[in-house]
Amino acid sequence: MVEQVNSFAIKTKNVSVHYGNKMAIDDVTINFTKNDVTSLIGPSGCGKSTFLRCLNRMNDVIDSCKVQGEFLLNGVTDIYGDSIQVETLREKIGMVFQKPNPFPKSIFENVAYGPKIHGLASTQSELNDIVMESLNRAGLYDEVKDRMDDIATGLSGGQQQRLCIARAIAIRPEIILMDEPCSALDPIATARIEELINELRENYTIIIVTHSMSQASRISQRTAFFHLGKLIEHGDTSKIFTKPDKEQTNDYITGRFG
Amino acid sequence: MIYFALLILVIISYLFYYIGKKRALNLKFNGNIKLSSQPDYFGYYVVLMALIPALLMWFGLLLFKGNFQEMFVMSPILFPDISTWSDGKLGLILNKLNNLSVIVNLPLDDLTNGEKSILNMASENELTAAKNLANFDKIYGWANLTLFIILPIILGFLATRSISGKLNAQPIVEKIITYIIKGSSYIAILITIGIFLSLVFEAINFFRYVNPVDFFFSTGWNPNRAFVVDASEGFDKDDLENAFGFIPLLTGTLLIATVAMIVAIPLGLMSAIYLAEYASKRVRDIAKPIIEILAGIPTVVYGFFAALSLAPFIKDVGESVGLPVSAESALAAGLAMGVMIIPFVSSLSDDVIKAVPQSLRDGSYALGATRSETIKKVILPAALAGIMGSFLLAVSRAIGETMIVVMAASLRANLTFNPLEPATTITTQIVTSLIGDVEFDNPKTLVAFALGLTLFLMTLLLNILAITIVKKYREKYE
Repeated sequence: MVEQVNSFAIKTKNVSVHYGNKMAIDDVTINFTKNDVTSLIGPSGCGKSTFLRCLNRMNDVIDSCKVQGEFLLNGVTDIYGDSIQVETLREKIGMVFQKPNPFPKSIFENVAYGPKIHGLASTQSELNDIVMESLNRAGLYDEVKDRMDDIATGLSGGQQQRLCIARAIAIRPEIILMDEPCSALDPIATARIEELINELRENYTIIIVTHSMSQASRISQRTAFFHLGKLIEHGDTSKIFTKPDKEQTNDYITGRFG
Repeated sequence: MIYFALLILVIISYLFYYIGKKRALNLKFNGNIKLSSQPDYFGYYVVLMALIPALLMWFGLLLFKGNFQEMFVMSPILFPDISTWSDGKLGLILNKLNNLSVIVNLPLDDLTNGEKSILNMASENELTAAKNLANFDKIYGWANLTLFIILPIILGFLATRSISGKLNAQPIVEKIITYIIKGSSYIAILITIGIFLSLVFEAINFFRYVNPVDFFFSTGWNPNRAFVVDASEGFDKDDLENAFGFIPLLTGTLLIATVAMIVAIPLGLMSAIYLAEYASKRVRDIAKPIIEILAGIPTVVYGFFAALSLAPFIKDVGESVGLPVSAESALAAGLAMGVMIIPFVSSLSDDVIKAVPQSLRDGSYALGATRSETIKKVILPAALAGIMGSFLLAVSRAIGETMIVVMAASLRANLTFNPLEPATTITTQIVTSLIGDVEFDNPKTLVAFALGLTLFLMTLLLNILAITIVKKYREKYE
């Protein structure tokens, strides 16, 4: 793979995160290639979710959380810089959470929420188009087209999660962060989401935290292994899962610890 | 005496707990008997067996003490004409005998002159009865003591002896405790029903004098008209028609409550939003209890704040801009009441806003929404039902509030929607109708029950509505 500056969606350098006095991330440097799915794996509490949340500054609201290091979006924009507003940043870096969290509003309103806030549609028909397209891409449109005004919390878990993905892509982000998006879902819904992630890869850069090694190997091109707040190893998924450089990675992947 | 006995009872029950438990443990470890319950339950079993009969009998004695006394003292032998006495006279004589019984057995030298004259004034029969009463009290005292000490000890020992491998104490103890808990909740429910029924019956009494249609739809409130005519001659129906019109009280109540809500809703809701969404944990920990203190200030304090500071201030301000303001305006009472119910709105709304799951906030932030957009478009709509519930609870509190309006609003019924004029409320009129030496044989006092019933139904309806709304809201996230 040719590594050019432009081919990185996000570059990070020497990232450390503290909660109060407790260190959560210890000097992590990692670059995320564009239009790839990168899996962050590692045992519980290794800091992979914390790291993910740093990328779109979701940790800002936690008072005790202190983030240090360099974060560059597309190689130029400083994510934590003064020149960028956090709202604009999150317009570019969307996020899907572990537990489906649709707003207690109608299905339509859930997807239209982001576009409305950012003024992406000037007319109602434009808004309709955005909502339809987003639901379509999330593979949900056919299932809900007859009940767009029903409350979203009435959908099944898998449908809710796909709705959240539709909601995230409705504001046309460049990058989508996913924090264990399948951990609350059954195997069939999980398979559906994995399929979706694979399709989304064409247009988006996806960074996904997952506990399932098989999932990481199925869906991602790149994999990063975290342990105790440190990035142990990072590389092509095929390499990480077949002949990792580090003993520790090998142990984790073969299930010897974690 | 009774407190001493109670103390002894507590000590006895503690002792029996240990005795029962010890015996069970003894059987288990030294007797090698397999017990069917945990040793603790045998302790409880002995305590309950020892206490419950004693307490029940004591309660019975207490309940029927008066009857026993009467049976024992008020015999037709001493008072031949007792069957002709009215209840009032009977009570008076009993009272007198009670006083006499304290001194009748004392040596003459210990008595004061007053007490001596009381003794001299009493008839021979009364003195005998007083002596009987004194004896009765002595017997009653001993009976109590026996009940409290001897009976539990006997029962306790019997219960301890009955502990064996066959006795399964656990289901017995749990059954008894279930009965006790059930009984407690039934008592609360029965008392509520009792209060409600007493309201209903007296209100029915009132509606014998006044046509319910006149009460609910007439606009004149002049309860003193009922005094113009002599109660014994009956009442002139025409006079009563416009004496007890409920409408001006209703409008006054609603007017003052509206003023209160206009103050409390925006202030309460905004402080709730601030506390729940913007305030740091430290500010919240300090500010929330302080706001809640507002609810703890006695309403009478708000009353004189409204009457002595707020009302004159409003009058001055009003007059300086040329508005005629009454010295007892609905505005003053409403403002003070509004301040009082701020914590109801803010505290409850704060709770429901806090109860909106963090995941919804995260979801909104992750879509690039600002904090105020998130509050406006996600959090408040999600918490709306709960917030409405808090408003309704505050309204029912405002409608039921008495002291502030008694002190700051007027007593004169006034059919108006102008908050600068005086107005009176349902609660105020209940108070005024019951002030002074009252007999419940005329509509002027009986109206209190009709008003109370109406008020009760109004607030009940609001509370049911509020609870339903809050419940509906809760179901959404579970």
